[in-house]
Amino acid sequence: MRYGFVIDQTRCIGCHACTVACKEENGVPLGAFRTWVKYIEKGEFPHTRRYFAVLRCNHCDSAPCVTICPTVALYRRRDGIVDFDRDRCIGCKSCLQACPYDALYIDPATHTAAKCHFCAHRVERGLEPACVIVCPERAILAGDLDDPASEVARVVAREQVQVRKPEQGTRPKLFYVGADAATLTPSLQRPAAASLWGQAPPAPLWTAASGDGGPRVPKAVDALGRTVYDVPHEPRPWGWRVSAYLWTKSVAAGAALLAALGGLLGWTPAGGAALPLLALVFLLATTVLLIADLKRPDRFFYILLKPNPRSWLVWGAWILLAFGVVATLWLLAGLAGRPGLLALLAVPLVALALAAAGYSAFLFAQAEGRDFWQSPLVLPQLLVGAVLAGAAVALLAHGPLAGLRGLLIAALGVNLLLVLAELYTPHTNLDAGAAARVVTQGPGRAAFWGGVVVGGTLVPALLLLAASPAPAAVASLLALAGLYCWEECWVRAGQAVPLS
Amino acid sequence: MPVPEPLHPVARELAPPADGLQSYPPVARWDDWEEYDALAWPKKVSRRYRLIPTICFNCEAACGLLAYVDRERLKIQKFEGNPAHPGSRGRNCAKGPATLNQVEDPERIRYPLRRVGRRGGGQWQRVSWSDVLDDIAGRVRRALIEGRRNELMYHVGRPGHELVYHQRILHAWGIDGHNSHTNVCSASARAGYAFWHGYDRPSPDHANARFILLFSSHLETGHYFNPHAQRIIEAKKRGARVCVVDTRLSNTASMADWWLSPWPGTEAALLLAMCQVIIRERRYDREFLRRWVNWAEYLRDEHPDRPPTFETFEALLPDLYAEYTPEFAERESGVSAAALVEVAREIARAGAAVATHVWRNAAAGNLGGWQVARALEWLVVLVGAVATPGGTAPSFYHKVIPAPPLMPPPAKVWSELLYPREYPLAFFEMSFLLPHFLREGRGKLEVYFTRVYNPVWTNPDGLSWLEMLTDETKVGLHVCLTPIWSETAWFADYVLPMGHASERHDLMSQETHAARWIGFRQPVLRVALEREGQRFATTWEAHAAAGLGEVWEEDEFWIELSWRVDPDGSLGVRRYFESPYRPGEKLTVDDFYRWIFEHSVPGLPEAAAQEELTPLAYMRKYGAFLVEDGVYRTHEKALSAADREGAIVDPVTGVLVKGGAAIGVDVDGQAMVGFPTPSRRLEFYSRTLKEWKWPEYALPGYIRSHVHWSQLDRARNEFLLLPTFRLPTLIHTRSGNAKWLYEISHSNPLWLHPRDAERLGVGTNDLLKVHTEIGSFVDKAWVTESIRPGIIACSHHLGRWRLAEETGGDRWSTALVDLKTDGPGRWRMRTIHGIRPFPSEDPDSGRIFWEDAGVHQNLTFPVQPDPVSGQHCWHQKVRVERAGTDDRYGDILVDTGKAHDVYRRWLNLTRPAPGPGGLRRPLWLPRAYKPDPSSYRLEP
Repeated sequence: MRYGFVIDQTRCIGCHACTVACKEENGVPLGAFRTWVKYIEKGEFPHTRRYFAVLRCNHCDSAPCVTICPTVALYRRRDGIVDFDRDRCIGCKSCLQACPYDALYIDPATHTAAKCHFCAHRVERGLEPACVIVCPERAILAGDLDDPASEVARVVAREQVQVRKPEQGTRPKLFYVGADAATLTPSLQRPAAASLWGQAPPAPLWTAASGDGGPRVPKAVDALGRTVYDVPHEPRPWGWRVSAYLWTKSVAAGAALLAALGGLLGWTPAGGAALPLLALVFLLATTVLLIADLKRPDRFFYILLKPNPRSWLVWGAWILLAFGVVATLWLLAGLAGRPGLLALLAVPLVALALAAAGYSAFLFAQAEGRDFWQSPLVLPQLLVGAVLAGAAVALLAHGPLAGLRGLLIAALGVNLLLVLAELYTPHTNLDAGAAARVVTQGPGRAAFWGGVVVGGTLVPALLLLAASPAPAAVASLLALAGLYCWEECWVRAGQAVPLS
Repeated sequence: MPVPEPLHPVARELAPPADGLQSYPPVARWDDWEEYDALAWPKKVSRRYRLIPTICFNCEAACGLLAYVDRERLKIQKFEGNPAHPGSRGRNCAKGPATLNQVEDPERIRYPLRRVGRRGGGQWQRVSWSDVLDDIAGRVRRALIEGRRNELMYHVGRPGHELVYHQRILHAWGIDGHNSHTNVCSASARAGYAFWHGYDRPSPDHANARFILLFSSHLETGHYFNPHAQRIIEAKKRGARVCVVDTRLSNTASMADWWLSPWPGTEAALLLAMCQVIIRERRYDREFLRRWVNWAEYLRDEHPDRPPTFETFEALLPDLYAEYTPEFAERESGVSAAALVEVAREIARAGAAVATHVWRNAAAGNLGGWQVARALEWLVVLVGAVATPGGTAPSFYHKVIPAPPLMPPPAKVWSELLYPREYPLAFFEMSFLLPHFLREGRGKLEVYFTRVYNPVWTNPDGLSWLEMLTDETKVGLHVCLTPIWSETAWFADYVLPMGHASERHDLMSQETHAARWIGFRQPVLRVALEREGQRFATTWEAHAAAGLGEVWEEDEFWIELSWRVDPDGSLGVRRYFESPYRPGEKLTVDDFYRWIFEHSVPGLPEAAAQEELTPLAYMRKYGAFLVEDGVYRTHEKALSAADREGAIVDPVTGVLVKGGAAIGVDVDGQAMVGFPTPSRRLEFYSRTLKEWKWPEYALPGYIRSHVHWSQLDRARNEFLLLPTFRLPTLIHTRSGNAKWLYEISHSNPLWLHPRDAERLGVGTNDLLKVHTEIGSFVDKAWVTESIRPGIIACSHHLGRWRLAEETGGDRWSTALVDLKTDGPGRWRMRTIHGIRPFPSEDPDSGRIFWEDAGVHQNLTFPVQPDPVSGQHCWHQKVRVERAGTDDRYGDILVDTGKAHDVYRRWLNLTRPAPGPGGLRRPLWLPRAYKPDPSSYRLEP
């Protein structure tokens, strides 16, 4: 049994009855929508037309939100409904990033994630969802796709249907009849500076559209549809705390790497306390940032107690925990002057530092909604970033040792190459390309060219050519700042492309 | 390594319902239905409900609602559709479920309030219902005793069932005091239809149509949006073609096969060109015309020298419409001649299955707008689609108005404040001219009731209303019956909280399709409490018990008030408010509806008996009853032998007259009911118009509007402002208390074509200043390809305001404004701040994210009454410029002195009564609350 929706846009009149009935049935707060209607206009007077699309959760058979959710607050029922449990949600917002359909929001009352759940509480009583029964046009059908006699199954079989973003591989169970492509595809939409009868939804801080929200006089004949009505969406689920978490984590991992390898290679004093201490401090900061970014920080421990083994948030938590334990032992061993123990701990510490630095690549890859983050270059960049950060803090801790200077110059160079490759090699799709342009040409250009390329790479590299302490310290700080700028650019740009 | 899909502990296999999912709980379990709490889910917390049907009050359609009353908390959990309702069939638009917002609105008025200090000063004091009734009843009684009957006026926003049920009250008082909003709404369309067939509305049978021609936006708004939208799409899916004529691109036009965007006011030319195509190509229904059109009367009056045969008429027809070529229509309207011919041929192809509608739109916008309705109906008549399956019937074929107990005789009185002699054919009261009438000294008001009516905001020239309402020498007592605060309620002496959709009784019947039904609105909390065994004398006491405050309902209010007007029966009023079941005792609402359901609804007592229910209990259970389905060609109903007995057939006209009244017409030797027109036929030729001094309009024709393009100087940036369109989610001034609706729409920018935007040098969101004849307003631009160049358009729903920070207007929807005068009649309004979050018992009020409340354009419009129909002609000729540095969004400037001058100018267009026989108005022409015929005579 697999429940699914059919929405017939040849019947839909864009009346918003479904939107309001859903709010009534499910007590959805102002500003949030579990289902909404988007309006697009195309053409030139008098050959103009407005198109509607009812957008909502697709109840994917392969639902990325379920995969990424660390606490099994989102789950797929055996009848195919993707439901949620607000009592398990920790408010990490990763589901908002994983869903390619913009279906989730954070409920301002409970601070937990919510979305269309097929009115599972009604289905349980044998009743159709609220949007289905209110619709004046019977444009929304709900039923069992596995039952060939059901109306939904018959429509899917006999009509030309389409799904949103099939390339995401999510296997949606919401099928559209007669929808105009532009209504379902954000890249075919030209956002408007306002809406037909509402003020413009609050724009994200960084957007993939041109700075002022699009052309104010619409170009008549255009392959793109003009968005004329939309609801406000969560503009950017992850902000500076997440960028900062990536950065502090790089520092922690890098400091540990340098502590373990630096001693071996003679770059740093073996068994020194400074670097492991720095690693632990930054690891603590990482944890604090992670918890502070939760909408329900009071539930942070659910990630360990109610874990979803498929979520990289869960694996990440375990990695950070293990990394912390080993780093602490390393510090204690160093302080106690136990070189044998240090030798024993070196391999696990290096492995865990690399894992701590790199696991985020897999986590961000699970954020299926954000194409920009789906790049194979993320893992190497994170690892190089950790080395870069490690070298920089080691320089600050131990002065301008030649090996460290060389290492930082090399890390800066490789990092820049990786970053440029990320931005300038051909992108797998339009959205990833659009996000890259946000960094290189859009709202991120100052932070990128000024902060990452010039201030964060070229200037410190030049300063490092000098062997004196002051320029090296400045270079290290600049390199660290450059790395932070990149994390900001990367995290924000990834979210700058509209999902719906 | 495949990781297994995580399984939530409560995720479980469902036992699939045996016959799939159901839409509604079975009726048998409506009185005790269990559902899971959505907010507790996936915890299974059961809640028990009573499901009690009622009727939506957010537009005119009267769709069914099913209230889920929580049995423990005595609170309405939600409203769904009522599957037993024949019109809405269990489905609703966005405004149906939003009823819950209105019930729970923290801003609503919960107790009767009396003004303290000066009127409009904003100081209020809570009073008891009893004190309110005594005070008002005393004043009414004095006015009746002193013969000042015309100083009592009841002004309603939307006449629904009140037409007969409220007539009962006012006629019992012996007054001509019913005023309505109709002449700012639909009077022109009504007049156009009435001149044809004596009924004032079209009732298209959309579901069975092969062609649907809409001068309306029934896929998003209007009479009767949801029921019509269901059936239009149903027909479309069965292959019907749809053409929408609307200057702006509506959602409806978007779904149509043809969108025709004419210059506003040229619609009749466009329609007559279609008629011409059908006439020229002889594709009309010859037999239908011959039998049912009053061509013979036309030939007798206008061509007495020609043989009085249908062939003569047929020979004349092409010449009558020779000038209305498609090319002429293209020059007038801008719509391509080819498209007109194409649509005309499609209409001819559809034959008798052509469903059409015009309600406000072109008819309400233009001088001579009533000719649009007339031209549209001409098209329907030509193809013989009158009251056919898939055709367009007169409204009353698809409506039932069950008679109430003991109807008083019509009053022998005529109010010149309602139907002044200048407007003998005005289809409804000249309501929107009231401030000007009082200003001219035509009368004054002792007690003025407004009910769900907000003239200060809705009507053109609202500041003249404000001036009238604040002048206590003109309005002695203003009683505002309203569920919510409004711009008008602020200027009342009493603000009396009346119930929303689910808080009062009402009987509804609307022409939603080719059937006749009634819907029963009921106060669901009272019904629920009474089912629990409690008893209440009044609905307000039930509401108080349910924690709603002292919110009352009109039915009981008027009974109680009338009783106190005539406590001893000496005025002859009280007898109409006595129970038919308990002589001498006061009528209750139960008595009233029980009597109606037992006596006046054919088939209902039998249907109730089958379920072993009383008719009243049946209606309380189901909330609706289908009286008759598949109603067609009612005019062809044969007169029975009993009807014919004693009737005289006029040898010339074939009209059957009995007891001085026309009862039918002889068609080809058969006596049939016909239409309620003087000829009992469809009046292609209106002798009435000719006799009442408008001979040039005796036939369906085209009148160039006051905003015809030839009247505008484009070089001076003159534009036509189309200010009438509705949005799918709002309803005039009644939805400002619905947060879910305002969340979707809260702004009314000026639609402007890109070419015009370029000329003015503006883009979307730039401010424009729009100058009307009496003032100006500042709004922002919305540059769009969805409007004809030369036109600017602005929805009328938005622009609500209030004068005090914390009261006097719903804070979900109103801007706080500063309103002041710069001298007599010179008004200036400026927004202090837009919509803001506010603290309340509803946490959502802190989550308001929109600031924009829109702009109140209607304040800047002068009155423009059509001299025939009396309809306010909404479209405005305006001058548009970029806003200056001192102009701010929402600014309004108005000079009410100029407004009065414009009123005088339009008054000069009239051709006043008396008409033939020294009458104020043709006796046959429908009129609300028709007084006694003796009062029609205008004393010289």
